[in-house]
Amino acid sequence: MLLVFIIFILFLLMGMPVAFAIGIAGTLFFLQNPQLPFTMIIQLPISQTQNFPLLAIPLFIFAANLMNETGITHRLIRLAGVLAGHMRGGLAQVNVVLSTLMGGVSGSAIADAAMEARLLGPEMLKKGFSKGYTGSVSAITACIAPVIPPSIGLILYGTIGQVSIGRLFTGGIVPGLMMMLFLMIAVSITSKIKGYLPERKRPSLKDVGMALIDSIWAFLFPIALIGGIRFGLYTPTEAGAFAGVYALAVGAVFYRELTWKKFKRTLEFTIVDIGSIMLIISLSGIFGYGLAYERAGDVFSRFMLGITNNPQILLLLIVGAVFIAGMFIDSTAIILLFTAILLPLVSEVGIDPVHFGLVFMLVIVLGLVTPPVGVSMYTVCSILDCQLEDYIKESIPFIVAILLVDLLIIFFPDIVLFLPNLVFGKD
Amino acid sequence: MKKLYEYICKGETFLIKVFLVFIVGLVFVAAVTRYIGYPINWSVDMAVCLFAWCTFLGGDVAMRNNKLMNVEFLIKKLPEKYRNSIELINFFIILIFLLAFIGYGIKLSYTTRFRQFQGIPGFSYTWVTISVPIAGTLMVITTINKIRERLAKRGGECRLQ
Amino acid sequence: TPAFGQAKYTLKFNHVLSPREPYHAGFQKWAKAVEERTKGGLKIEVFASAQLGVEEDILEQIRAGANVGQNTDSARMGMYIPGIAIMNGPYFVETLGGVERLKKMPTVQGWLDELANKFGFKVLSFGWVQGYRHFFTNKPVRSPDDLKGQRIRTPPAPIWQESVRALGATPVALAFGEMYPALQQKVIDGVELVYNNIPGGRFYEVLKYVTETGHIMLVNFEVISAKWFNALPPEYQKILVEECDKAGLETSRSIIESEKAVKADLIKRGMVVVDKVDIAAFRKAGEKAYEVLKIADVKDKVHKELGFKK
Ligand code: NA
Ligand code: NA
Repeated sequence: MLLVFIIFILFLLMGMPVAFAIGIAGTLFFLQNPQLPFTMIIQLPISQTQNFPLLAIPLFIFAANLMNETGITHRLIRLAGVLAGHMRGGLAQVNVVLSTLMGGVSGSAIADAAMEARLLGPEMLKKGFSKGYTGSVSAITACIAPVIPPSIGLILYGTIGQVSIGRLFTGGIVPGLMMMLFLMIAVSITSKIKGYLPERKRPSLKDVGMALIDSIWAFLFPIALIGGIRFGLYTPTEAGAFAGVYALAVGAVFYRELTWKKFKRTLEFTIVDIGSIMLIISLSGIFGYGLAYERAGDVFSRFMLGITNNPQILLLLIVGAVFIAGMFIDSTAIILLFTAILLPLVSEVGIDPVHFGLVFMLVIVLGLVTPPVGVSMYTVCSILDCQLEDYIKESIPFIVAILLVDLLIIFFPDIVLFLPNLVFGKD
Repeated sequence: MKKLYEYICKGETFLIKVFLVFIVGLVFVAAVTRYIGYPINWSVDMAVCLFAWCTFLGGDVAMRNNKLMNVEFLIKKLPEKYRNSIELINFFIILIFLLAFIGYGIKLSYTTRFRQFQGIPGFSYTWVTISVPIAGTLMVITTINKIRERLAKRGGECRLQ
Repeated sequence: TPAFGQAKYTLKFNHVLSPREPYHAGFQKWAKAVEERTKGGLKIEVFASAQLGVEEDILEQIRAGANVGQNTDSARMGMYIPGIAIMNGPYFVETLGGVERLKKMPTVQGWLDELANKFGFKVLSFGWVQGYRHFFTNKPVRSPDDLKGQRIRTPPAPIWQESVRALGATPVALAFGEMYPALQQKVIDGVELVYNNIPGGRFYEVLKYVTETGHIMLVNFEVISAKWFNALPPEYQKILVEECDKAGLETSRSIIESEKAVKADLIKRGMVVVDKVDIAAFRKAGEKAYEVLKIADVKDKVHKELGFKK
């Protein structure tokens, strides 16, 4: 497996497209293990695409592109400008808030990152934010999505560990909102340093009202989506299709800005986005297989077990280790590999499984945005045509912000447990 | 020859666009029919089947238009001559990988002929697996064009406008 | 080539259930027994939660001769030999004794040979039973009529879908992990599962009633590659099969025993077990599934071999 990692890094540095670098390096494991059928290098990428939750990615990208073409984004940005224009890094703040709202709709950080890079990215670049900054904000704020319910990651954790999904979902609300707050602070500080100035003075009530009326369909969009989920009309994955249909309807019927030509152009953008993003996700299916096959999770946990039995120190160690593991392994794979082993370990020292679930989730999501293997990172960079090193430089303060939230919930479990205990009673 | 290839490229992008619209429609219809109490259970399976085609064919379109993400900071610093040779090496490695992708893709497509889509009785999984060798073949053509382009420093591709 | 001191043969055995389900412990027991009896010559590594991959993918790897195994069901084996699907049908067998005898029936023997020779699947055992499937809903259900219009989550295979439809409900295909939020948000009205699935998935938080229809006794298949199996020493082959059957029956028995405790616990947590359920009506309704899928003849034939009265 070590060879696989080394070759991968080498290919990356040689400038090979990430999708192929990841797929070809992963193939080496199968050359080393002839007892495995070589057809698996086809099977694993295909299985990545036969995954219903991942379908949210093309659906939300399509919806975002449609919103750009139909005048929805345009109006949304105008409203955002009025509401947040007086703040430092106005549009970046909007990006944070929108992620939190979208968190209530989608359970997928990648889909959300893709959507926001498409939706807010071009406008942020126009306003003078650098590509790296725009990409970092879009990708890292999208990490709120799997923490705020609904969340595919938490369902997976709860199913494997037999932890109440209801409790996990309720437990995610406060940490999710804290992530929003801390990321807004990070935006504010970094904007100040970089000199991303406020666009205008504090808005008057009349300005807000006018902008609100003008953008009512755009403003209703996330609310309508959340409503649809709460009324049982669709699941979070299906929400992407409704977003697309909503954008089509609003663009064609209410704003009348959608033409056949624009629709075809939107499709064109969308298929290139899907191709470049999904090829990475699909071929990365070959990459992590060796770790599961060689039971890397077991070895790792046995090592952890030997070090300490102080709950806080243990959690800190786990967070550190998962952060590093997340740099190389896909986030779903981390949940699969580690939940079953870590959960008994932490239960033994008296850590609540819901508490642990959120501590775990907050560091797992960072795997999506850290190099060298970070799907959300590659997603926003390929959408924004941004260089990886620019992204990496700008991403640090935001990653630190999320780690700080994680530290807080490690030392104050009640941040997580207060709400579930209130709703469901003490377990 | 060149003309034929242009038609193939156009057909390819058209197909993906149609598939994408179908995916949205199928998922939408699945939710609505379930909500009113007459669920169509095959529509989601059909959507993920088309998803595989969009992924691999879309990958080819992205590759042809140089939209595949890569890390440039190191090779950007190299002189043009070395940069060109490293890119050539990359494309040759990719070419070998793609040939394996096609070969084993055909093999897998043959063995999956019995495997049915759970939700669509009588619909073979081969309709999904076959997307790999087909898209793989198109990617091979794209790669060869890229290699020729670097060898001769000339065009010969069809790009999206 | 194995290094010194390592097992000569290794089987990587995958299943989709959580490591806390009784099956996982059962498979590990099997692994331990095989390792002991072969003095470490044959080692089984058990992977929970589908860590090795998607069930259908593993089945293909098995066909290609890999050293992997999978816990699967008759619905999936039914893709290769349609008749096998009957084992997944409503009220096909209703006791562990029936399951035990099933393996010796001539028709079933024929299927096993065909699976091995034509498709490359060696079925080690189907003595593994997850328990009885019941309906879990938010409205009390006493007869097939009460299920009318209720959207019940069901695995996507045709035999599952038709069985649940025959029993009166509207089957909805959803992944296992999507069930909880779907119930919470009323995307679906209920599920049909075995008792042991309920505490793990915490479904009692979002469901109120249990109707003990016992409409399917869920028989599982333990499948490995016939090619890999045939290359084992005969002694190992015998041990592998014997221990798999033994661990399977033991696990099944303890699961069915444990259902009482699980049920009591669910009642304590506020679930209501519906009384006066018209089992005869469900049994009669279930027949339709076999007719729709045109496997009623096969079912009658195997039932005759088992000595069941029509
Ligand atoms: Na979410
Ligand atoms: Na965002």
